Amino acid sequence: METLVIGFLIGCAFGAILFMGGATSYRRILGTLLLKDMWIIKLMCTAIGVGTLGIYLLDLGGLANMSVKPAYVGGVAIGGIVFGIGWAVSGYCPGTCVVGASEGKFDAIFTVIGGLVGALLFSFAFPYLEAMLIEPFNFGAVTLRDLTGVSGIYLAIPFSAMLIALAFFVLKDRYE
Amino acid sequence: MQEQKAIISWKVAGISLGLLLTLATFLVQPLGVSTQFVVTDAVVAHKVVPEATEKNAYLAKYGEKEGWGIGYGWMMVFGMFAGGLVTSRLLSAKQPDADKGSMPKMWESVFGGSRQKRFAAAFLGGVMLLFGARLAGGCTSGHMISGISQLALSSFIFGIFTFGSAIVMAHILYRKRG
Repeated sequence: METLVIGFLIGCAFGAILFMGGATSYRRILGTLLLKDMWIIKLMCTAIGVGTLGIYLLDLGGLANMSVKPAYVGGVAIGGIVFGIGWAVSGYCPGTCVVGASEGKFDAIFTVIGGLVGALLFSFAFPYLEAMLIEPFNFGAVTLRDLTGVSGIYLAIPFSAMLIALAFFVLKDRYE
Repeated sequence: MQEQKAIISWKVAGISLGLLLTLATFLVQPLGVSTQFVVTDAVVAHKVVPEATEKNAYLAKYGEKEGWGIGYGWMMVFGMFAGGLVTSRLLSAKQPDADKGSMPKMWESVFGGSRQKRFAAAFLGGVMLLFGARLAGGCTSGHMISGISQLALSSFIFGIFTFGSAIVMAHILYRKRG
Protein backbone atom coordinates (compact mmCIF):
# COMPACT_ATOMS: atom_id res chain seq x y z
CA MET A 1 0.00 0.00 0.00
CA GLU A 2 2.74 2.41 0.96
CA THR A 3 4.65 1.89 -2.29
CA LEU A 4 1.43 2.48 -4.26
CA VAL A 5 1.06 5.89 -2.58
CA ILE A 6 4.74 6.70 -3.17
CA GLY A 7 4.31 5.70 -6.82
CA PHE A 8 1.28 7.93 -7.19
CA LEU A 9 3.03 10.92 -5.62
CA ILE A 10 6.20 10.50 -7.69
CA GLY A 11 3.98 10.23 -10.78
CA CYS A 12 2.14 13.44 -9.83
CA ALA A 13 5.43 15.30 -9.64
CA PHE A 14 6.64 13.72 -12.90
CA GLY A 15 3.43 14.70 -14.73
CA ALA A 16 3.50 18.23 -13.32
CA ILE A 17 7.14 18.73 -14.37
CA LEU A 18 6.47 17.45 -17.90
CA PHE A 19 3.41 19.68 -18.30
CA MET A 20 4.96 22.82 -16.82
CA GLY A 21 8.25 22.29 -18.63
CA GLY A 22 6.53 22.20 -22.02
CA ALA A 23 7.41 18.54 -22.72
CA THR A 24 3.92 17.87 -24.10
CA SER A 25 4.36 20.60 -26.70
CA TYR A 26 4.26 19.36 -30.31
CA ARG A 27 6.18 22.40 -31.63
CA ARG A 28 8.97 21.82 -29.11
CA ILE A 29 9.26 18.07 -29.74
CA LEU A 30 9.29 18.47 -33.51
CA GLY A 31 11.45 21.59 -33.19
CA THR A 32 14.01 19.48 -31.34
CA LEU A 33 13.86 16.68 -33.90
CA LEU A 34 14.29 19.22 -36.71
CA LEU A 35 17.33 20.48 -34.75
CA LYS A 36 15.97 24.01 -34.47
CA ASP A 37 14.46 24.30 -31.00
CA MET A 38 16.79 22.84 -28.36
CA TRP A 39 14.36 23.18 -25.41
CA ILE A 40 13.54 19.47 -25.04
CA ILE A 41 17.08 18.21 -25.53
CA LYS A 42 18.42 20.77 -23.06
CA LEU A 43 15.76 19.66 -20.56
CA MET A 44 16.74 16.01 -21.07
CA CYS A 45 20.49 16.63 -20.85
CA THR A 46 19.98 18.54 -17.60
CA ALA A 47 17.72 15.81 -16.15
CA ILE A 48 20.21 13.07 -17.08
CA GLY A 49 23.15 15.15 -15.82
CA VAL A 50 21.53 15.67 -12.42
CA GLY A 51 20.15 12.10 -12.37
CA THR A 52 23.52 10.46 -13.13
CA LEU A 53 25.23 12.37 -10.36
CA GLY A 54 22.32 11.72 -7.97
CA ILE A 55 22.16 7.99 -8.66
CA TYR A 56 25.91 7.42 -8.39
CA LEU A 57 26.08 9.50 -5.19
CA LEU A 58 23.33 7.25 -3.77
CA ASP A 59 25.31 4.26 -5.00
CA LEU A 60 28.35 5.36 -2.98
CA GLY A 61 26.26 4.75 0.14
CA GLY A 62 24.74 1.57 -1.32
CA LEU A 63 21.35 3.33 -1.47
CA ALA A 64 20.56 3.20 -5.21
CA ASN A 65 17.87 0.73 -6.29
CA MET A 66 19.18 0.51 -9.82
CA SER A 67 17.36 -1.23 -12.64
CA VAL A 68 19.63 -1.70 -15.64
CA LYS A 69 18.12 -3.03 -18.86
CA PRO A 70 19.86 -5.82 -20.78
CA ALA A 71 21.81 -4.80 -23.90
CA TYR A 72 20.47 -7.12 -26.64
CA VAL A 73 21.81 -5.03 -29.49
CA GLY A 74 19.42 -6.08 -32.29
CA GLY A 75 16.16 -5.61 -30.38
CA VAL A 76 17.26 -2.40 -28.68
CA ALA A 77 18.44 -0.87 -31.98
CA ILE A 78 15.42 -1.93 -34.07
CA GLY A 79 13.02 -1.09 -31.23
CA GLY A 80 14.70 2.32 -31.01
CA ILE A 81 14.24 2.91 -34.75
CA VAL A 82 10.53 1.98 -34.64
CA PHE A 83 10.10 4.09 -31.50
CA GLY A 84 11.81 7.07 -33.15
CA ILE A 85 9.45 6.96 -36.14
CA GLY A 86 6.44 6.82 -33.80
CA TRP A 87 7.88 9.73 -31.80
CA ALA A 88 8.25 11.96 -34.86
CA VAL A 89 4.83 10.97 -36.29
CA SER A 90 2.82 11.43 -33.08
CA GLY A 91 4.91 14.17 -31.43
CA TYR A 92 4.65 12.32 -28.13
CA CYS A 93 6.46 9.61 -26.21
CA PRO A 94 4.76 7.10 -23.89
CA GLY A 95 5.05 9.41 -20.87
CA THR A 96 4.15 12.72 -22.50
CA CYS A 97 1.07 11.27 -24.26
CA VAL A 98 -0.34 10.36 -20.84
CA VAL A 99 0.23 13.92 -19.62
CA GLY A 100 -1.06 15.40 -22.91
CA ALA A 101 -4.19 13.26 -22.52
CA SER A 102 -4.68 14.70 -19.03
CA GLU A 103 -4.62 18.18 -20.58
CA GLY A 104 -7.52 17.09 -22.79
CA LYS A 105 -5.49 16.94 -26.01
CA PHE A 106 -7.30 14.52 -28.32
CA ASP A 107 -4.21 13.70 -30.36
CA ALA A 108 -2.50 12.59 -27.13
CA ILE A 109 -5.52 10.43 -26.24
CA PHE A 110 -5.23 8.73 -29.66
CA THR A 111 -1.52 8.15 -29.02
CA VAL A 112 -2.37 6.47 -25.68
CA ILE A 113 -4.93 4.21 -27.41
CA GLY A 114 -2.43 3.47 -30.19
CA GLY A 115 0.13 2.67 -27.49
CA LEU A 116 -2.17 0.13 -25.86
CA VAL A 117 -2.71 -1.48 -29.27
CA GLY A 118 1.04 -1.41 -30.03
CA ALA A 119 1.88 -3.09 -26.70
CA LEU A 120 -0.77 -5.75 -27.37
CA LEU A 121 0.58 -6.38 -30.89
CA PHE A 122 4.03 -6.74 -29.40
CA SER A 123 2.78 -9.34 -26.91
CA PHE A 124 1.65 -11.50 -29.87
CA ALA A 125 4.90 -10.93 -31.77
CA PHE A 126 7.08 -11.51 -28.70
CA PRO A 127 7.72 -15.29 -29.12
CA TYR A 128 9.04 -14.75 -32.67
CA LEU A 129 10.96 -11.56 -31.92
CA GLU A 130 12.49 -13.04 -28.78
CA ALA A 131 14.25 -15.76 -30.76
CA MET A 132 15.30 -13.34 -33.50
CA LEU A 133 16.20 -10.08 -31.79
CA ILE A 134 16.28 -10.48 -28.02
CA GLU A 135 18.19 -13.69 -27.31
CA PRO A 136 21.07 -13.24 -29.82
CA PHE A 137 23.80 -10.64 -29.21
CA ASN A 138 22.69 -10.08 -25.65
CA PHE A 139 25.48 -8.52 -23.62
CA GLY A 140 23.38 -8.50 -20.45
CA ALA A 141 22.45 -5.72 -18.05
CA VAL A 142 25.80 -3.98 -18.11
CA THR A 143 26.77 -0.37 -17.37
CA LEU A 144 29.83 1.60 -18.41
CA ARG A 145 31.14 0.91 -14.91
CA ASP A 146 31.02 -2.85 -15.55
CA LEU A 147 32.62 -2.42 -18.95
CA THR A 148 35.46 -0.15 -17.89
CA GLY A 149 36.01 -1.35 -14.34
CA VAL A 150 36.19 2.30 -13.26
CA SER A 151 34.35 3.24 -10.06
CA GLY A 152 30.88 4.63 -10.95
CA ILE A 153 31.26 8.04 -9.40
CA TYR A 154 34.44 8.74 -11.40
CA LEU A 155 32.46 8.12 -14.58
CA ALA A 156 29.37 9.96 -13.33
CA ILE A 157 31.10 13.24 -12.42
CA PRO A 158 32.67 13.98 -15.85
CA PHE A 159 29.60 12.63 -17.71
CA SER A 160 27.25 14.84 -15.67
CA ALA A 161 29.51 17.85 -16.12
CA MET A 162 29.60 17.24 -19.87
CA LEU A 163 25.79 17.02 -20.16
CA ILE A 164 25.19 20.11 -18.01
CA ALA A 165 27.75 22.07 -20.03
CA LEU A 166 26.10 20.87 -23.23
CA ALA A 167 22.69 22.07 -22.04
CA PHE A 168 23.78 25.37 -20.51
CA PHE A 169 26.51 26.53 -22.87
CA VAL A 170 26.74 24.55 -26.09
CA LEU A 171 23.24 23.82 -27.49
CA LYS A 172 21.65 26.91 -29.01
CA ASP A 173 18.36 27.33 -30.84
CA ARG A 174 18.70 27.91 -34.58
CA TYR A 175 15.96 29.75 -36.43
CA GLU A 176 16.02 31.13 -39.90
CA MET B 1 6.44 30.24 -33.39
CA GLN B 2 9.09 30.14 -30.66
CA GLU B 3 8.44 33.44 -28.90
CA GLN B 4 6.51 31.85 -26.04
CA LYS B 5 8.36 29.86 -23.40
CA ALA B 6 6.73 27.38 -21.03
CA ILE B 7 5.45 27.73 -17.46
CA ILE B 8 8.83 26.76 -16.03
CA SER B 9 12.15 26.90 -17.88
CA TRP B 10 13.98 23.84 -19.22
CA LYS B 11 16.57 24.43 -16.50
CA VAL B 12 14.04 24.20 -13.67
CA ALA B 13 12.23 21.27 -15.33
CA GLY B 14 15.49 19.41 -16.05
CA ILE B 15 16.93 19.86 -12.55
CA SER B 16 13.60 18.89 -10.92
CA LEU B 17 13.32 15.80 -13.11
CA GLY B 18 16.89 14.75 -12.27
CA LEU B 19 16.20 15.17 -8.55
CA LEU B 20 12.89 13.28 -8.87
CA LEU B 21 14.69 10.42 -10.63
CA THR B 22 17.25 10.33 -7.80
CA LEU B 23 14.48 10.28 -5.19
CA ALA B 24 12.60 7.52 -7.03
CA THR B 25 15.80 5.44 -7.32
CA PHE B 26 16.39 5.89 -3.59
CA LEU B 27 12.82 5.03 -2.54
CA VAL B 28 11.78 2.30 -4.99
CA GLN B 29 13.26 2.17 -8.51
CA PRO B 30 14.06 4.48 -11.44
CA LEU B 31 11.25 6.04 -13.52
CA GLY B 32 9.63 4.07 -16.34
CA VAL B 33 6.38 4.34 -18.27
CA SER B 34 6.12 1.98 -21.23
CA THR B 35 5.83 -1.26 -19.19
CA GLN B 36 2.56 0.04 -17.79
CA PHE B 37 0.93 -0.06 -21.22
CA VAL B 38 1.56 -3.82 -21.14
CA VAL B 39 0.26 -4.06 -17.58
CA THR B 40 -2.91 -2.19 -18.59
CA ASP B 41 -3.40 -4.53 -21.57
CA ALA B 42 -2.73 -7.57 -19.35
CA VAL B 43 -5.13 -6.54 -16.59
CA VAL B 44 -7.94 -5.64 -19.01
CA ALA B 45 -7.42 -8.72 -21.19
CA HIS B 46 -7.38 -10.94 -18.11
CA LYS B 47 -10.81 -9.62 -17.14
CA VAL B 48 -12.21 -10.35 -20.61
CA VAL B 49 -10.41 -13.51 -21.75
CA PRO B 50 -8.49 -14.89 -18.75
CA GLU B 51 -7.33 -18.17 -20.32
CA ALA B 52 -6.04 -16.68 -23.57
CA THR B 53 -4.28 -13.94 -21.59
CA GLU B 54 -2.51 -16.43 -19.32
CA LYS B 55 -1.31 -18.32 -22.41
CA ASN B 56 0.23 -15.15 -23.87
CA ALA B 57 3.76 -15.41 -22.45
CA TYR B 58 4.46 -11.67 -22.59
CA LEU B 59 1.19 -10.52 -20.99
CA ALA B 60 1.50 -13.27 -18.37
CA LYS B 61 5.05 -12.20 -17.50
CA TYR B 62 3.86 -8.72 -16.49
CA GLY B 63 0.33 -9.63 -15.37
CA GLU B 64 1.40 -12.30 -12.90
CA LYS B 65 3.89 -9.99 -11.17
CA GLU B 66 1.08 -8.13 -9.44
CA GLY B 67 -1.46 -10.98 -9.44
CA TRP B 68 -3.24 -9.53 -12.51
CA GLY B 69 -3.70 -6.25 -10.69
CA ILE B 70 -1.79 -2.99 -10.59
CA GLY B 71 1.35 -2.09 -8.66
CA TYR B 72 3.79 0.72 -8.01
CA GLY B 73 4.59 1.41 -11.66
CA TRP B 74 0.98 1.69 -12.74
CA MET B 75 0.21 4.05 -9.87
CA MET B 76 3.14 6.17 -10.98
CA VAL B 77 1.72 6.52 -14.50
CA PHE B 78 -1.73 7.17 -13.05
CA GLY B 79 -0.07 9.86 -10.91
CA MET B 80 1.38 11.41 -14.09
CA PHE B 81 -2.14 11.74 -15.43
CA ALA B 82 -3.35 13.25 -12.15
CA GLY B 83 -0.38 15.64 -11.91
CA GLY B 84 -0.89 16.78 -15.49
CA LEU B 85 -4.63 17.13 -14.97
CA VAL B 86 -4.33 19.31 -11.86
CA THR B 87 -1.48 21.53 -13.06
CA SER B 88 -2.97 21.99 -16.52
CA ARG B 89 -6.26 23.14 -14.97
CA LEU B 90 -4.64 25.43 -12.39
CA LEU B 91 -2.03 26.93 -14.69
CA SER B 92 -3.88 26.97 -17.99
CA ALA B 93 -3.63 30.76 -18.19
CA LYS B 94 0.16 30.54 -18.08
CA GLN B 95 0.49 27.86 -20.78
CA PRO B 96 1.55 29.36 -24.13
CA ASP B 97 -1.40 29.36 -26.58
CA ALA B 98 0.83 27.63 -29.14
CA ASP B 99 1.01 24.58 -26.84
CA LYS B 100 -2.74 24.24 -26.34
CA GLY B 101 -5.25 22.10 -28.18
CA SER B 102 -5.21 18.96 -30.29
CA MET B 103 -4.23 20.53 -33.63
CA PRO B 104 -0.66 21.88 -33.50
CA LYS B 105 -0.18 24.86 -35.87
CA MET B 106 3.04 23.38 -37.14
CA TRP B 107 1.24 20.18 -38.16
CA GLU B 108 -1.61 22.13 -39.78
CA SER B 109 0.79 24.23 -41.85
CA VAL B 110 2.02 21.11 -43.68
CA PHE B 111 -0.70 18.47 -43.32
CA GLY B 112 -3.81 20.66 -43.29
CA GLY B 113 -6.63 21.09 -40.82
CA SER B 114 -8.15 17.61 -40.97
CA ARG B 115 -8.62 16.35 -37.43
CA GLN B 116 -9.03 12.75 -38.69
CA LYS B 117 -5.62 12.92 -40.32
CA ARG B 118 -3.92 14.27 -37.19
CA PHE B 119 -5.63 11.72 -34.94
CA ALA B 120 -4.82 8.84 -37.32
CA ALA B 121 -1.15 9.89 -37.26
CA ALA B 122 -1.24 10.19 -33.47
CA PHE B 123 -2.77 6.69 -33.23
CA LEU B 124 -0.30 5.07 -35.63
CA GLY B 125 2.56 6.90 -33.94
CA GLY B 126 1.35 5.48 -30.63
CA VAL B 127 1.29 1.93 -32.03
CA MET B 128 4.91 2.29 -33.20
CA LEU B 129 6.02 3.98 -29.96
CA LEU B 130 4.89 1.13 -27.76
CA PHE B 131 5.80 -1.68 -30.15
CA GLY B 132 9.30 -0.18 -30.41
CA ALA B 133 9.60 0.57 -26.70
CA ARG B 134 8.61 -2.97 -25.71
CA LEU B 135 11.01 -4.50 -28.22
CA ALA B 136 13.81 -2.27 -26.90
CA GLY B 137 12.81 -2.76 -23.26
CA GLY B 138 11.93 0.83 -22.40
CA CYS B 139 11.06 4.33 -23.58
CA THR B 140 12.18 7.91 -23.07
CA SER B 141 11.78 7.72 -19.30
CA GLY B 142 12.97 4.18 -18.56
CA HIS B 143 15.66 3.87 -21.20
CA MET B 144 16.82 7.36 -22.04
CA ILE B 145 16.45 9.32 -18.80
CA SER B 146 16.71 6.58 -16.16
CA GLY B 147 18.87 4.22 -18.21
CA ILE B 148 21.50 6.69 -19.36
CA SER B 149 21.59 8.14 -15.82
CA GLN B 150 22.61 4.65 -14.67
CA LEU B 151 25.21 4.60 -17.48
CA ALA B 152 23.55 1.49 -18.94
CA LEU B 153 25.02 0.28 -22.23
CA SER B 154 21.59 -0.70 -23.63
CA SER B 155 20.21 2.79 -22.97
CA PHE B 156 23.05 4.50 -24.85
CA ILE B 157 22.27 2.22 -27.82
CA PHE B 158 18.55 3.01 -27.52
CA GLY B 159 19.23 6.75 -27.29
CA ILE B 160 21.41 6.78 -30.42
CA PHE B 161 19.00 4.77 -32.58
CA THR B 162 15.87 6.54 -31.29
CA PHE B 163 17.18 10.05 -31.85
CA GLY B 164 18.72 9.05 -35.17
CA SER B 165 15.49 7.62 -36.52
CA ALA B 166 13.26 10.36 -35.06
CA ILE B 167 15.46 13.12 -36.53
CA VAL B 168 15.39 11.47 -39.98
CA MET B 169 11.61 10.92 -39.79
CA ALA B 170 10.94 14.52 -38.68
CA HIS B 171 13.00 15.83 -41.59
CA ILE B 172 11.08 13.59 -44.01
CA LEU B 173 7.75 14.85 -42.63
CA TYR B 174 8.77 18.50 -42.80
CA ARG B 175 11.07 18.35 -45.84
CA LYS B 176 9.20 21.08 -47.75
CA ARG B 177 9.81 23.55 -44.97
CA GLY B 178 13.46 22.60 -44.53
